[in-house]
Amino acid sequence: MTLEYEGGAPEMFDLRSDALPGAPKPVDLANFRSLLRGVVRVNTTRRGFLKGLTATAAGLGLLTGLASKPKKAKAFAYEPYPRDDDLETVVTSCAHNCGSRHMLVAHKKGDVIVRLSTDDGRYQKDGYFGKDTEAEPQVRACLRGRSYRLRLYSPERLLYPMMRVGERGEGKFKRVSWDEALSFIAEKMVEIKQKYGPTALLDQSYAGASYGVLHKSDQIEGLLGRFLGMFGCRTSSWSVPSYQGTTFSSRMTFGTIEDGNEDDAFAHSKLIIMWGWNPAYTFHGGNTFYYMRLAKQRGCKFVLVDPQYTDSAAAWDAWWIPIRPNTDAAMLAGMAHYIFTNNLQDQAFIDRFVQGMDEGTMPGWAKAQGFESFKDYILGKSDGVPKTPEWASEICGVPAEDIKKLAHMYATTKPAALKASWAPGRNAYGEQYNRMAAALQAMTGNIGILGGSAEGVGKAFHMPAVAYPYDQFANVWFASIKSDRWAHCVLNYPNVKREEIGLWPRPDNLDGVIPNIKGIFWQGSDWFNQLTNINKEIEAIKKLELVVCMDSTITPSGLWADVLLPVATHFERHDIALPWYKGHYLIHRPKVIEPMGESKTDFQIFTELAYRLGFGPQYNPRATRDYFHNPDSVDEAYLRAFWEREIMHHMGVSMTWEEFKKRGVYKFKLDKPHVAFRDQIEKGIPFNTPSGKIEIFSTTLAQYKDWTKTAYGYPIPAIPKWIEPWEWLGDKEKTKKYPFHLVTPHPRWRTHTIFHNIPWLRETYEQEITINAADAKKLGVRTGDVVEVYNDRGRVVVPVYVTERVMPGVAVLHEGAWMDLDEKGIDRGGNPDFLTLDEPSPAGAFAYNTILVNIRKTTLDHRPGWDSLATARSAVYRRDD
Amino acid sequence: MAKKLDKEQVREALKRKVRQTYEPVKPKVQLGFIHNNVDCIGCRACEMACKDKNGLPPGPRFRRVQYIEGGTFPKVYAYKVNMSCNHCAEPACLPACPTGAIWKREDNGVVDIDSTLCIGCRKCEAACPFGAPQYIPELNIVSKCNMCIDELEAGRKPYCVMACMMRVLDIGPIDQIDKGAYKTTAYSDADKQNIVRQVKNMANPELTNPSIRFVAHEQGKVK
Repeated sequence: MTLEYEGGAPEMFDLRSDALPGAPKPVDLANFRSLLRGVVRVNTTRRGFLKGLTATAAGLGLLTGLASKPKKAKAFAYEPYPRDDDLETVVTSCAHNCGSRHMLVAHKKGDVIVRLSTDDGRYQKDGYFGKDTEAEPQVRACLRGRSYRLRLYSPERLLYPMMRVGERGEGKFKRVSWDEALSFIAEKMVEIKQKYGPTALLDQSYAGASYGVLHKSDQIEGLLGRFLGMFGCRTSSWSVPSYQGTTFSSRMTFGTIEDGNEDDAFAHSKLIIMWGWNPAYTFHGGNTFYYMRLAKQRGCKFVLVDPQYTDSAAAWDAWWIPIRPNTDAAMLAGMAHYIFTNNLQDQAFIDRFVQGMDEGTMPGWAKAQGFESFKDYILGKSDGVPKTPEWASEICGVPAEDIKKLAHMYATTKPAALKASWAPGRNAYGEQYNRMAAALQAMTGNIGILGGSAEGVGKAFHMPAVAYPYDQFANVWFASIKSDRWAHCVLNYPNVKREEIGLWPRPDNLDGVIPNIKGIFWQGSDWFNQLTNINKEIEAIKKLELVVCMDSTITPSGLWADVLLPVATHFERHDIALPWYKGHYLIHRPKVIEPMGESKTDFQIFTELAYRLGFGPQYNPRATRDYFHNPDSVDEAYLRAFWEREIMHHMGVSMTWEEFKKRGVYKFKLDKPHVAFRDQIEKGIPFNTPSGKIEIFSTTLAQYKDWTKTAYGYPIPAIPKWIEPWEWLGDKEKTKKYPFHLVTPHPRWRTHTIFHNIPWLRETYEQEITINAADAKKLGVRTGDVVEVYNDRGRVVVPVYVTERVMPGVAVLHEGAWMDLDEKGIDRGGNPDFLTLDEPSPAGAFAYNTILVNIRKTTLDHRPGWDSLATARSAVYRRDD
Repeated sequence: MAKKLDKEQVREALKRKVRQTYEPVKPKVQLGFIHNNVDCIGCRACEMACKDKNGLPPGPRFRRVQYIEGGTFPKVYAYKVNMSCNHCAEPACLPACPTGAIWKREDNGVVDIDSTLCIGCRKCEAACPFGAPQYIPELNIVSKCNMCIDELEAGRKPYCVMACMMRVLDIGPIDQIDKGAYKTTAYSDADKQNIVRQVKNMANPELTNPSIRFVAHEQGKVK
């Protein structure tokens, strides 16, 4: 990699484009022309810190000399246009935490990726062009993966270490050397640890740079956790933003989060109830959506329970049941009531496999202590309130007749998959919804059978996933808190009660000690933009002494950091990719191109820091200090050992490492679709719960005496119950001021914040708030009008999209938009987390969908992004005739 | 942005244009697209693949997935219409081109455009009833889908088809698609009765005889 400099880097820049030296161009055409021609030329006008610098990835011989003055581009397709077969083909995959993993095939020339394609059946063993069978389908990349070239070569790409020179959050940085950046971090770490103890550094790594087996960002298996743990100063963040309610529910009910079927199992269902699930957007699993299409062709019926008529409902022709947000547990209770009172439950299944469903399956000790069974609760035996469909209807807004009809369908169709998605669990008491759904799955006997579903979390086929040392130093922590309570902890320290931050219990003298957080590390994480109640985070971050952001992109979180470290993307490092959620295949991820700029891998950075702090050899036992400059042979050694030990030996795969590298992909062939708990049901193997049964009545929860000493902090009932959330449409007082319930689902055009800055994807959407036409009429707004969405916690400005496809009273604003504050602290980017409350559910579920707001037309500015790239909105056409 | 063209080349191109205008090319095989409006989830992987393949800046979109919705809460419906260039049997863009840059291929019926001859006058854009030609301002030319002719020649299918996660978009000989005889994942046996030449609010196919078929949504059918 060679770098050319024209005049050296200027001293200091403001990363926010409106304050740049030199106005930003709306579209960097030169850059696009170069991309078209396979030339990479880093934008020299936008983002001042790049000014004066011309980096050419083509420095390795392709087009040196063209970089500063690109040859006038000729049009496709009659200029010399490299055909795929003229280019070098490299199989790799996409990355990131979307719930899936698909193949990307890089077509490159020299050190430049000219274009990307995807799986076409050729690359696997016994493959050929077009091979695409039900047992071995192609793993085709989604729109995000296909746009990856623009992320790789993005003007927002972070290429050099940078250090803050202005106030924190002001966005002013200077370029520094690696040595200067790492020395600063190492010295600060030692100082903070000495001054504030072993809990002063907060690990906020997350899944943004996963899921490679070697370069992993994660709280449990991640590189940062092991690094900080070895250093002896780490507070970890235990609750998972996406699905903590579900995780809790599955652990309590089934004793594991591996409650998922492989995606091909969906093709065998007769009824699929998509509860808050939108696989047309989230693409969970390699081919879930496609197998559902096969199910539809085989006569499967679909139901969608959701405040929105999603594209999933349209594509699978589902019966749409609009439901008030946060009331799912009530509707499910109403269904359970119908099933019990009509005696439609699978009693044989219940008697054999379930604890606490009814009187007969309650353990003796629990009865003796006066605990009620699930059926007693549903029938209202102890509280005098039968949870009838009519009772549920009052709460959830679904007509009682529809609740009965759905309950009847579900109880009498077999096999039927109630797919209890994560989104309705991202709520106040979200875990109750997930536990309630598990109760219905159990009472209808749809667990452990092909075509049924116990999901839940949905994690299915399990493979080993760690290639670096995962030893006694992995995931060492000295305090562990609910992830979105860090700001509360920092702002109120030391007057914080352990239950307020969900402090995880410990067996030693650190138990109950409130962490005095003074520093944060972000690895593969844009959490400052993504956790709840950002305005509170902004107050808290000002109190910190060290904020480190490691990323390949300049993220909105990065703007609040003290040090920005440029991280190589997954195209620029060697790894093995595997789907973490569903999917039974492995994809080789070679170093397709050399790291751009001065970027290094996370593993290189931590190894070098570990050397500076005195534990380098222990942290990375296969490496010497030279690893910072030459990682290839060490990475190869880790990966080969992983392949031979874990994949060949442990998983029984016969393909050698060399062959895997040559082909780029390995697809497992399963003799029958993988179904969670098949063995428990068919062979009578006990579930991994205290009772060995499916615990609708949880032994663990029933036995807690002092809830403040648990990680949850506050009581959770032993059986699933409807508990009124703190903000919802049924609250007559709060809705006077804030009449709309806002939900914040995952968009299709981003993976959380990743890809928000990609121009091609920008053409496909707009960050906008979706409301019903009747509400729009009341507000006096039409599609395209700019509105302010506000509550007591914050204000955001976005355009409105008016439709009939959302329930009246409900508003939809997708998560992940990059925050962009004006001088009054109003978010012009439309990030809903200025409106969310940093009050997680007792079990740790983030309350991302528990928000009341109001909406008004405004003249305030909306900005679709930091840049002003084209947002040629792909219009939705309304057809009434 | 005036561009110098080779006069001899233009003369030849214009001859070809006149020939193809008065006697439409009858290709050996007319390839066309088939898209399932109902089963498409509207993910736009095809659009992204197309942008990447053709190296397009933001703005021009050779392939466009249109989202159609209607009804009144709670009785609503939605479907997708996915269109790029329809490689018409009688393309309206072809006679409109003053330099003869547009022509129709004899082997597979692909309507192609020679960008070195394009002067960016945008007449084809105006002539096309389906919005296929896309103006690229920074190059001052119009360009459009050529069905990934390089991939076709290599014995493969275009990038959009190979990108389709739901396997609802395909290409094939249009006469066989019409008969439901073409083997494709774009339609099931039950879908065959819903294969149409035109969906609601689409220009009349009699204008140019476009080589595209849809599996239509009930609400998208032209009654």
